[in-house]
Amino acid sequence: MLDWVVVTFVALVQILPVIAVALNAVATDWAGSILPTGYTWRWVEQLLHDPRFTVAIWHSLVVSFGALVIATCVSVPAVLAAHCYLPRLDRWLAALVILPYAVPGIVLAVGLLRLYAGNYGVVLTGTPWILLLGYVPLGVAFFYVPMKNNLRALPVSEFLEAGRILGASDFAVLRRVVLPCVMPGFVVGIVMNFSLAVSEFVYANLLVGGSYPTLQILMNVLSSGSGHLLSVLITAYFLIVAIATSVLLTVSGRQDRAA
Amino acid sequence: MARRLAASEGGRGSRLAILAAAPLLLMLLLFEILPLIVVGLDGLHTDSGWSLGNYAAILASPFQRNAFLLSVELSLATAVLGVVIALPVAVVLRRVPKGVSRALLVYATIGANFTGFPIAFAFIIMFGLAGFFTLLLVHAGWIHGLNIYSLSGLVAVYVYFQFQLGLLLLMPALEAITPDLRDAARVMGASDRVFWLRIGLPILAPALISAFVFLFANAMGTYATAYALVGGNANIVTIRIGELLAGDVFSDPHLADALASLLVIGLAIPIVLEQILLHRRRDG
Repeated sequence: MLDWVVVTFVALVQILPVIAVALNAVATDWAGSILPTGYTWRWVEQLLHDPRFTVAIWHSLVVSFGALVIATCVSVPAVLAAHCYLPRLDRWLAALVILPYAVPGIVLAVGLLRLYAGNYGVVLTGTPWILLLGYVPLGVAFFYVPMKNNLRALPVSEFLEAGRILGASDFAVLRRVVLPCVMPGFVVGIVMNFSLAVSEFVYANLLVGGSYPTLQILMNVLSSGSGHLLSVLITAYFLIVAIATSVLLTVSGRQDRAA
Repeated sequence: MARRLAASEGGRGSRLAILAAAPLLLMLLLFEILPLIVVGLDGLHTDSGWSLGNYAAILASPFQRNAFLLSVELSLATAVLGVVIALPVAVVLRRVPKGVSRALLVYATIGANFTGFPIAFAFIIMFGLAGFFTLLLVHAGWIHGLNIYSLSGLVAVYVYFQFQLGLLLLMPALEAITPDLRDAARVMGASDRVFWLRIGLPILAPALISAFVFLFANAMGTYATAYALVGGNANIVTIRIGELLAGDVFSDPHLADALASLLVIGLAIPIVLEQILLHRRRDG
């Protein structure tokens, strides 16, 4: 009985912020009363017709999918190669991908600003490039950790040796046999990298800011207003994260059933 | 085994492997390692050349010292609260049906990442001056008002993501407390209280320490949430660094680097201590 009280309480605490923001997004007025006095789609329409919103969504999608493509293209081959052929590098990689968890984003932001604001002849700040490239180290762990878990369960060297006896190149074995086996970890990496890029604020605000406004930057701009538009924007962000997460759950659920 | 494999390929495999890993290594170098090195070096630079002047300036300034103090207090408090709330919840989640605990954990994965404007603004709607809960509590006559734009407000918002992160970190560790273990203790006549004090908590101690250090580091590095809730009014390290970066008057550019270096050093200490502590336990 007490268990269910705890579970219900935790679930309420978890979900209440989302409900509060969503209610405020469709409330006519919610000041001085416990519940909104009326409901309206006015704020939703207003934001949808706001050119700043269209631009911010577009920028966020460019940055998120762009960073995702770059992160995938550089991380996945590296994780596979290090695991299969370069055990010494693999140990280094394990430490390097975890480093951003010990070093706050703001510290890295300071360093990126020193390096890429023109002091050394390269200007990436103020452009989406610093986000597209800067997010890669932050998200590698999302590929590395789950893919390593999948890889550890596989006799990769036996696969490769069997392939060689049968005349298949290592590349063919990796692509046809190993890669499909690490798919679950790969999907986790993709969704988590996407969520990271959509949610990130420190780099977006300090390195790019108003010159390439993303959703998070627009939140900063709208935070000085009435709050209703900000609520609509945050609800849109919640929806994007929810969609990404449900994709992850669908795929991992299918994997569970297949296993 | 992998090394033997590489050798059997006559080095060609490993050369190709290095080629495959090279782009990532280059990215890590350019956007993770070099920025850190530059911050460390620039912090040791003043207008008059190499010196520890920036650090001396930080130590001499009560304002900067207080920023560190407040950051540490805030992080200690929310890390302790995060672990203390997450542990009993995690124990309960092990007892309820799997579907229920899975749903809560999935949400915790999202919730642990609700930082910055989304969560800060949600708390303002709920606990702000005209917030839903504020009014509810005022109507009930329990309080006269709440100030979410304060230190306790920051603690409340931090704890929201800290306890969910703690939940994610502690759930796997609880696998070690098996039903057999509890049954055995019960047969020997141990009460629940005695079981947790003598058996449960000692087994979980390493996991609890690791979770605590992780949450502490997480809170020390938090910038977006504090910025969204109180802006420049919070005198914590990350906000000070951000202000030095974004400020119109950039009087002393190296001060931000020195502050950032101190933050990294401050975080390295508990992480190194944790590693030493846990390794000694494992060896002993």
